[in-house]
Amino acid sequence: MKEYVLLVLLAVCSAKPFFSPSHITLKNLMLKDMEDTDDEDDNDDDNSLFPTKEPVYPFSPFDLFPTCPFGCQCYSRVVHCSDLGLTSVPSNIPFDTRMVDLQNNKIKEIKENDFKGLTSLYALILNNNKLTKIHPKTFQTTKKLRRLYLSHNQLTEIPLNLPKALAELRIHDNKVKKIQKDTFKGMNALHVLEMSANPLENSGIEQGAFEGVTVFHMRIAEAKLTSIPKDLPSTLLELHLDFNKISTVEDEDFKRYKELQRLGLGNNRIADIENGSFANIPRVREIHLENNKLKKIPSGLQELKYLQIIFLHSNSIAKVGINDFCPTIPKMKKSLYSAISLFNNPVKYWEIQPATFRCVLSRMSVQLGNFRK
Amino acid sequence: MKAIIIFVLLAQVSWAGPFQQRGLFDFMLEDEASGIGPDERVPPGFPELELPSPGPVCPFRCQCHLRVVQCSDLGLDKVPTDLPPDTTLLDLQNNKITEIKDGDFKNLKNLHALILVNNKISKISSGAFSPLVKLERLYLSKNHLKELPEKMPKTLQELRAHENEITKVRKSVFNGLNQMIVIELGTNPLKSSGIENGAFQGMKRLSYIRIADTNITSIPQGLPPSLTELHLDGNKISKVDASSLKGLNNLAKLGLSFNSISAVDNGSLANTPHLRELHLDNNKLIKVPGGLAEHKYIQVVYLHNNNISAVGSNDFCPPGYNTKKASYSGVSLFSNPVQYWEIQPSTFRCVYVRSAIQLGNYK
Repeated sequence: MKEYVLLVLLAVCSAKPFFSPSHITLKNLMLKDMEDTDDEDDNDDDNSLFPTKEPVYPFSPFDLFPTCPFGCQCYSRVVHCSDLGLTSVPSNIPFDTRMVDLQNNKIKEIKENDFKGLTSLYALILNNNKLTKIHPKTFQTTKKLRRLYLSHNQLTEIPLNLPKALAELRIHDNKVKKIQKDTFKGMNALHVLEMSANPLENSGIEQGAFEGVTVFHMRIAEAKLTSIPKDLPSTLLELHLDFNKISTVEDEDFKRYKELQRLGLGNNRIADIENGSFANIPRVREIHLENNKLKKIPSGLQELKYLQIIFLHSNSIAKVGINDFCPTIPKMKKSLYSAISLFNNPVKYWEIQPATFRCVLSRMSVQLGNFRK
Repeated sequence: MKAIIIFVLLAQVSWAGPFQQRGLFDFMLEDEASGIGPDERVPPGFPELELPSPGPVCPFRCQCHLRVVQCSDLGLDKVPTDLPPDTTLLDLQNNKITEIKDGDFKNLKNLHALILVNNKISKISSGAFSPLVKLERLYLSKNHLKELPEKMPKTLQELRAHENEITKVRKSVFNGLNQMIVIELGTNPLKSSGIENGAFQGMKRLSYIRIADTNITSIPQGLPPSLTELHLDGNKISKVDASSLKGLNNLAKLGLSFNSISAVDNGSLANTPHLRELHLDNNKLIKVPGGLAEHKYIQVVYLHNNNISAVGSNDFCPPGYNTKKASYSGVSLFSNPVQYWEIQPSTFRCVYVRSAIQLGNYK
């Protein structure tokens, strides 16, 4: 009971005025995700990829075999082997290693036993290699792996049998064309998924590919999407689909993504956003629609109580109505706009009535900028 | 139950602590804190009654999670503004940043690691790093830098500037960097004498230097005695002078592969009594370097791909009573003119296992 009193005290002390239960759950979820469950002796700063402890170079003349691969640096359970021109994963990585950095080498393949027995491994960085193959049993014993960076390789699919503990997967700039059903099965901890710059089409995302996954931040930019994928995780808070070939947004598109707070759709070919599309994402705070083919301000913005940032520059918008951004009843808006961009559109700034921006934080928040022409 | 309570307690403490966490969800909390609550009266059309700005949240498209700000692979051409001031790690790799300006990192006084790998940086303003009073790791690899930046934070422990366009390293850039532990400057067009004499002198904690694949023709002078690893492979070094390794009492690993070394002066290796691993493969050596037999701790010696035509029976192991404290675990001699049948078996009497010797002339 004593603990409870303390808890209440601390809650009172903390700076925020109040917590709703959902905030606490989410917060705990994320903290838990970074928590190192059974390394009590571990004083490393878990918040960062790098331990901030003083590196130790134990010199023990009597060990028979060197325990750090030649040219790599091993300290505080971090093995740094970047920029060494390696063509394969070094064989003598210490078993208690927490992070392996192998970026910028020439590794073509990850073999079955390359990381075998590294049961404490927390982060694995394989960016910038020549990977075409990752053995399906690679991650069988790395059960604690939370961050896996595979960007800038030549992988054609997401590796199979990823560890269930994985929180972040980055596979930017590869050759992934297809996300198979069950790829992320059982991966309840996966929160960040970055798979931009892959030749992924809508048809490449199999139905059920993200079933049961609670991803919060997803980025599939610079791909070949022609519409907003409908089967992404329903837990998304951020979705970034910039630099695709999306041409329309249909009113059904966001139905699944009710929690969405940040939406990036810049640099697409969007000419039309169906009425009611945004009514499905009432919590959205930031929408980027710059560099598209919009002819008018998307409808329903005035009903988005929390919307603070909307980028609409470089479109074909010829007219802005007085109620396009702000509700008619001032109290309806719970967060003022901090940024609205409209420059590089055919509409003339003198044709927009000043009252249009009555729910904006300051004058500086609106960028009309037609004078740039 | 207790565990849960403690956990919740910890979480609470960390919220209330000096570092305000800004995770993926903090903007939700800020909703309440920002003063723009539902009951707040909004004065439309009165900009002079401006409400306080909600302050920096996570830059769009980046991920901010537990003080780590991840902005890699976004095609950014400059450092994002409004970075959360409590950031400890900022990852900006794989973008198109061309220049680091004064003020780019202002307020980031808690930053421990800055990753700028794989950008197009050719210029770093001299005051750019001055706000970073806690920076320990600076990764600048794969950029277009012609020189190392000036005025790097004194707290720096690790500097990586692999694959840039650096032609010379001046002593002054390391002035006062007494916390430095790791320096990696490989794959740069360093000139033959591109490293100023004594450049690394005085760095009392310096433990690891790697300057591979450049054009330097000699081992840098004035290396600090704290050094445990020196990697200079793929350079144009032609000789190891007796004095060049002087005072390196802690050196455990020495990499000199792929140079043009034809001679290792007698007495050179006596300067490194704790050497465990020596890589001299792919050079022009005509004999086994002197002094190995006296080394108590040496375990790995790579000498393959040289011009060694004779191996004496006391080249590796001490004569008589074995005074070595560690057995050899790897000796390579293949691709040398010496024939394996000309080497007496007793030459390797202080080797851990037979398979530790690679003669392999039969290849």
